[in-house]
Amino acid sequence: MKRRTFLMGGSAVVTAAMMGERAAFALPGPDELIWADDLPGTLDPHAVSDVPMQGYMINVYDTLYVNKQNPPKLVPWLATGHTVADGGLTVTFKLRDGAKFHDGHPLTSDDVAWSFKRMLAIKKGPAAAFLPVLDPDGATAPDPTTVVFKLKRVYAPFLAATPLVAILNRRLVEANVKDNDWGQGWLATNAAGSGSYIPDIEGYQPVQKLDLKRNRDHFMGWSDNTAPIETVRRRPIRETTTRVNALIKGDVDCTDSYLPPDQVERVMASKTATVSKDQSMRLMTLRMNNKKAPFDNLNFRLAVSHAFNYKGFIDGVLKGYAVRNAGPIPVNLWGAPQDLPAYELDLDKAKDYLAKAKAEGAPVDREIEIHIQEHLAQTTQAAQILQQGLRKVGVNLKIIPNLWPQLISSTAKPETTPDMWAHWVSSYFIDPENWIGQMYDSQFHGTWKASSWYKNEKVDSLLHEARGLEAKDQRQALYEQASRIIVADAVDIWIYNGVELRGISRRLRGFNFTPIGSGADFHTMWLAS
Amino acid sequence: MARFVLHRLVLTIPALFGLLVLTFIMLRVVPNDPSAALAGENATPEQIAEVRRAYGFDQPLWKQFVIYVGQVGTGNLGNSIISNRPVLRDIADRLPATMELTFVSLLFATVVGIPIGAIAAVWYQSLFDHAVRVLTVAGLAIASFWFAIILQMIFAMELDWLPLRGRFPEGLAPPYHLTGLYFVDSLLTLRFDLFGRAAEYILMPAFTLSLAGLASIARFTRAGVLETLQKEFVHYAEAAGYRRLRIIWVYVLRNSVVGATTQIGLLFGGLISSAVAVEAIFDWPGVGSYAVNAILSSDYKAVLAITLVVGLIYALVNIMVDVVHAWLDPRVAEKL
Repeated sequence: MKRRTFLMGGSAVVTAAMMGERAAFALPGPDELIWADDLPGTLDPHAVSDVPMQGYMINVYDTLYVNKQNPPKLVPWLATGHTVADGGLTVTFKLRDGAKFHDGHPLTSDDVAWSFKRMLAIKKGPAAAFLPVLDPDGATAPDPTTVVFKLKRVYAPFLAATPLVAILNRRLVEANVKDNDWGQGWLATNAAGSGSYIPDIEGYQPVQKLDLKRNRDHFMGWSDNTAPIETVRRRPIRETTTRVNALIKGDVDCTDSYLPPDQVERVMASKTATVSKDQSMRLMTLRMNNKKAPFDNLNFRLAVSHAFNYKGFIDGVLKGYAVRNAGPIPVNLWGAPQDLPAYELDLDKAKDYLAKAKAEGAPVDREIEIHIQEHLAQTTQAAQILQQGLRKVGVNLKIIPNLWPQLISSTAKPETTPDMWAHWVSSYFIDPENWIGQMYDSQFHGTWKASSWYKNEKVDSLLHEARGLEAKDQRQALYEQASRIIVADAVDIWIYNGVELRGISRRLRGFNFTPIGSGADFHTMWLAS
Repeated sequence: MARFVLHRLVLTIPALFGLLVLTFIMLRVVPNDPSAALAGENATPEQIAEVRRAYGFDQPLWKQFVIYVGQVGTGNLGNSIISNRPVLRDIADRLPATMELTFVSLLFATVVGIPIGAIAAVWYQSLFDHAVRVLTVAGLAIASFWFAIILQMIFAMELDWLPLRGRFPEGLAPPYHLTGLYFVDSLLTLRFDLFGRAAEYILMPAFTLSLAGLASIARFTRAGVLETLQKEFVHYAEAAGYRRLRIIWVYVLRNSVVGATTQIGLLFGGLISSAVAVEAIFDWPGVGSYAVNAILSSDYKAVLAITLVVGLIYALVNIMVDVVHAWLDPRVAEKL
């Protein structure tokens, strides 16, 4: 064949193929949901405990208790209820009848006890919340419907933390154990759950593509949803602009829940999509290393607290899609004092406190650093607003781009912890312990959550006592008291409690937001025609 | 020629080893310890230290490197510390998409860039030449992510001529997997309809990615043709009465594109790195988005593996360019 003939023939083939009947571009089918939120890095629910994993876990796995509604309520799920004995050291759960794994095997208390044992043995993700209070053999199954937990010490947040632990099909996972790895290699790309959706493992591509099929035999049944979604296609889209365009075009049924405020109006104006705005429990904080001068000086911290333009940030940058949070517990969670005075931008006060700090010998003239998370624009914007305020009172703030893994590694020691850094504390479990408990009790020093290196014996004592009490009202009083002390000490800068903004298609119905999983519970959803 | 290719292939081994050393040092010398992320949200320093021990991050850096090189020597690039999957498998799943995008972009840049550059040189100082010069400068200056978004807004959102994102229609089975390159697989299986669908999806990302390369090749070709047109053999051919078109397309062009060909080899590396942004915007399921995830999560084994694989491909493409170079210029072939 001559070159010219080949080229002409090739061109003809391409043209013919392009001119052929054009099907619609990737529009979702009438009974399938395209969910464009992030997938977890692994499918093993005991290996990671982050927001994408929550969105996966609540659909594919079941837990003893779950969080429903907003503000969230902890409700029995696999368990019918629980009892507490031995002054809080023994917690017993009774399981429902009829729960089955995806392979048809019944879910028993042995699976529950073994799941906790595995989670504690591999010591990853959710394990950290339980390791101080529960030994791997601390969960037992005296009969098929009873699970007993023997705690090492009284730990009131235990029940609230149980939704962190997915119950696995022991038989299935144990059949795939290699080199005593507790099935980690296998479960990273497989599933062993009982949840309302079954992942299609054949087509799974990590962090890129996962299809879920409805589990018709789920123990909760489907009577509350007359038109459940048969297929959910999880298709994360990395770039915000593409995600929003895809939603407006009708390619996908949702964005992630961190829609930039400047995109809200654009989505709302479209005919195909709207925005669900739900107050979450995601606290944005600028941390201060209280062990490093000049942050070891209260007056300096007060000066910094008064140099941040809270209103400008919330109204300007976030277009009002956030709620000012004056202290270390989300304002919509019990334990947060409702009358807590919030720091406001007041440069005169900032100057006064700065002068006092200087008089006390604090090195206020040194350049201070704030580390931001490079790929999260809001952390940069917050740092720039603080930089602007501090410059007006004569403090030089340098902004250092960084990444999450490096930042949390650096918080292991006070000398390596940055002067300041920006992050959010999300709702991993719904209890003040998740925020104030782990952020300001000095026993957690060395973890990223406690990276202020704050130590106050009174606060330590209040938080310790709150953990050991069962009565919520008593715990609430202690958390409120601790909050007031921490805010008076200006330990950190607490900016806002987030409003999650998720673009959703207008055909999607039954979207019920809960902070755990950010509303990604497909069990309740259906698609309008 | 065979000896030359073999020689170049052997030289690739120390080059890749150097790349591995450099990347390993860059990744591990900076404070970059994924143990805290792996240990979980509420992990204590003791639990983090245990994870560090379990993964060998507490070992001296040289020891970690020796262990890693030993693994690589056996063809095992390790498991991702995040997904626990073999990184080679993850890369193999995604590499064909990136390769297809890169090669189509390169093809586009070459097929369009060389004629444009040649015509601009032949019509030196004409309106066309001025337009090519302006547009090629613009092509080099325009940020690919901006251009990508503009293309999306026009052709996907407004006109609805092309798909917004992805590599293939949702719900339609891609061509039978032979190479992972949809164009090649659809032709090999005689599925011309799927070839067309794949073409619709690759048009915008490939054009975006090719823009800088196209501009560069056009400029190199223009300069090469202008220089060759002054050569004596051209005047001789004109005096001998050869047709102008034949002189330019057969004799001048062949002598002018040697520089542009070298440029194509160099461009390949640039295209692969630019593919990261283009893949993100067009939601193209390639190695670029995998690399970004790996970097953000400090998954250093994945980052090392990507660097190594891309380095190897880059080396192979450059060997191919040398071979083409020799084919175009027999004097080069004689020296090989």
